[in-house]
Amino acid sequence: MVRKISKFLAKNILTIFLGCLLVIPVLVLLCNWISDFGNSAVSGLFKKDNLILIGKSFLLSGTASLLATSLGSVCGFILNKYTFAFKGFYKLVLLIPLLIPDYVYAVAWKDAWQLLFGAGTNINSYTTVIFVHILVFSPIAMLITGSAISQVNRGIEEAGLLMISFRKMLLKILIPIIRPSFTISFLLILIFSLSDFSVPAFFGVRTFTTEIFTQFSAFYNYQAAMGQSVFLLVICMILMFSESRYLSDAPFFAIHTKGSNPKLYNCDNLKFLLHSFLILQLLVAVILPVFILFFQSFSGSEFLLGKAWKLLSPTILQSSVLALSSAFIISVIGLWTSWLKEREKYKLPNTVLMILFIIPSTVLGIAIIGFFNKPVLNFIYASSLMIIIGYIGRFAFISARILGNGIRQIPLSLEEAATVAGIGSLRKYLKITLPLLIPSLFASFVLVFILCFGELGTTIMVYPPGTELMPVKFFTISANAPQALTSSMSLINFGIIISFIGTFYIIGRKVFKRFSYE
Amino acid sequence: MNKILSIFSLIFLSIIYSGCKNRNNEVIVYCSVDQIFSEPVLKDFEQQTGIKVRPVYDTEETKSTGVLNRLIAEKDNPQCDVFWSGDPLRNNVLRLKGITTPYISNQTELIPRYFRANDNQWIGFSARARVLIFNKKLITMDSLPGSILDLIKPKYRGKFAMANPLFGTTTFHVAVLFTYLGEEQARQLLNNLKTNDIVIATSNGDVKKRVIQGEVAFGIADSDDAFEAKKESRDVDYIFLDQQKNGIGSLIIPNAVSLIKNSPHNENGKKLIDYLLTRETEIKLAKSCAQMPLIKDTEVPSGIPSLDDILPMKVDYDQTSQTLEKTQTWIKEWLEK
Repeated sequence: MVRKISKFLAKNILTIFLGCLLVIPVLVLLCNWISDFGNSAVSGLFKKDNLILIGKSFLLSGTASLLATSLGSVCGFILNKYTFAFKGFYKLVLLIPLLIPDYVYAVAWKDAWQLLFGAGTNINSYTTVIFVHILVFSPIAMLITGSAISQVNRGIEEAGLLMISFRKMLLKILIPIIRPSFTISFLLILIFSLSDFSVPAFFGVRTFTTEIFTQFSAFYNYQAAMGQSVFLLVICMILMFSESRYLSDAPFFAIHTKGSNPKLYNCDNLKFLLHSFLILQLLVAVILPVFILFFQSFSGSEFLLGKAWKLLSPTILQSSVLALSSAFIISVIGLWTSWLKEREKYKLPNTVLMILFIIPSTVLGIAIIGFFNKPVLNFIYASSLMIIIGYIGRFAFISARILGNGIRQIPLSLEEAATVAGIGSLRKYLKITLPLLIPSLFASFVLVFILCFGELGTTIMVYPPGTELMPVKFFTISANAPQALTSSMSLINFGIIISFIGTFYIIGRKVFKRFSYE
Repeated sequence: MNKILSIFSLIFLSIIYSGCKNRNNEVIVYCSVDQIFSEPVLKDFEQQTGIKVRPVYDTEETKSTGVLNRLIAEKDNPQCDVFWSGDPLRNNVLRLKGITTPYISNQTELIPRYFRANDNQWIGFSARARVLIFNKKLITMDSLPGSILDLIKPKYRGKFAMANPLFGTTTFHVAVLFTYLGEEQARQLLNNLKTNDIVIATSNGDVKKRVIQGEVAFGIADSDDAFEAKKESRDVDYIFLDQQKNGIGSLIIPNAVSLIKNSPHNENGKKLIDYLLTRETEIKLAKSCAQMPLIKDTEVPSGIPSLDDILPMKVDYDQTSQTLEKTQTWIKEWLEK
């Protein structure tokens, strides 16, 4: 009986917890929308203008996603299949675009363009948005594809190479094996690109997401904004459903290689070509934008780095503590969700997190404000718990995917052996599964920390009065600040994230060494 | 592992504790005026009165989405005491939704009647003006347009920028033009501006940046943007448009402050409003961002324009709000053409 109850609790407490914190608020918002506006709200969605706009947005994001996946996959392949000097350096530095907020990236790239080709050059177009999205999102494909490639067993490749050429082996064996990683990269980038507001808005390109924002903020038209959000949500859900139905076993961002010892190739005759390719990407995606930020920081009529530090320094502690606690809580939720999905075959919490992940940040913010702003819940509403709840909705899915991959790589035989020896479920989990998952947990913690540290969309909607957080302060100060001050703040922001990553890297090396089981 | 768990538990409990604290001696203000200018004023209030100010900042450049939507969502259980906005339009949105409440005091009476809502649900102070900001390297003072109506002349084709009229103070400016010129003429003006290849920037800050960088020769922005631009670059200057005798005048946009209905710290909210409506605050804002005091006989720092020296556009703020509602859809279509 006790066992049954504990199993029931382990299975359902998380679902209840997520339901109360996030699902009910979203459902309440949705029900209010339907009851307030009825059929007119739904029929309004299928107007010709809406359909054309969503078609255009898909074309833009689809193109960006396709090209970003191709570029990232090529980089992932080169960096995980060939041996050459500075490989580790390239792997690390090419991830930098993920760390710079995309609106800062857009500003830096536009300024770089004008510096190179003159101030009068007009670059406001769909092409520029696609270009910036490719640069910002291709590291995602690089990570996922790289991870997939490094898990391919060398025996398969070697057997293939005995019979066929390298080119044929690549086309007939390796690419088909890692194909799901291309699809998941494409889908994730497509969703990120579709839901991005800042880059299209900056370049004056109208997309479905900018339209939702316009309805919210220029017209205060909740009916239209909610309707369009639901429309976008349904489309993203269909995409993500296909992802979870057909690709949930695809590598996402694996930390271990499960003893697969991937095959590496020498590239003596390709060395120059590979270095040129990677240096060119480094130049376009990293060096140029960062150089522009430096250039602008020191180009103003006064030196503003000190002032920028004075403005941002009070936010560092609060932002760090909040991002660290959120990363911890989210990793625990991710661990629980992924364990239920992978070992108990109970997918509901994972599906809930997936749906929350694709809800536009403004909608999520309004949903949790509407639900928690009650006198009896003031202890939540008036505290930073609101931000943590928002972060759970935004990022717990990513953590669950990373940890799901980690769990899948732990041989079931270990747990089966423990069961045969009569070891209980909890002890088995604490003594076998958890220690083996520490590297994945650590990776999830670091990635979620970075995402929480820079999140703006939900944070600006829900942060409690009097709280000073770095992304909010950066955004509100930079609105009317001189360019040199904005660039100085970007550099400081960037520097702080890099310092954290450096610290995590040092800790991570120890963690990976201690808990590696290869 | 236990140590890590203890640290995170402690942090978690302190976060919950922060939400449970009893806070009587405080005031919560939602502010869409740029933080770089509003924060020092709120800090001074805190020092002078001992009342803790807990602000939530947003900005016109982010279209006030955060605070406005938050205030609307919080309508049934208000958390905010005072809303300080960069223009009266946002306050009018809240007023129409029944979120603000009238406030009258000795201090509000110092503000000219013209810069207050008829029912005192918002009170104006320290105003900005819409100005023409230009790059001296690209256009001489003599060649500049004297009126907003001159922008349709072929010689200015593709040379000027304006922020997206769906957001920020540009919304207000366009709505005023619709009220002043009448719907037909205003539509004609905007269509002609489009034919003359007007550059639509994302915000006034973006207009400022494009002028400084020389991407366009001039643009329409707010006087505080122009003031900042002059500090950033020696090549930039600004003028007030439509200052000719019988001209339509320059649009004056006051800050606006509102008391929130059923707010938790109502009395402290009133004290903050009274503080914002003092001469001292107006002088501070004049010094920091060139805003023009509205209280009569307030000393204007040198280099800052005074309302006495400008021909202002005659605006009925309530009527403009109504016009705005009617014209927004057309303006959106105009933008998308």
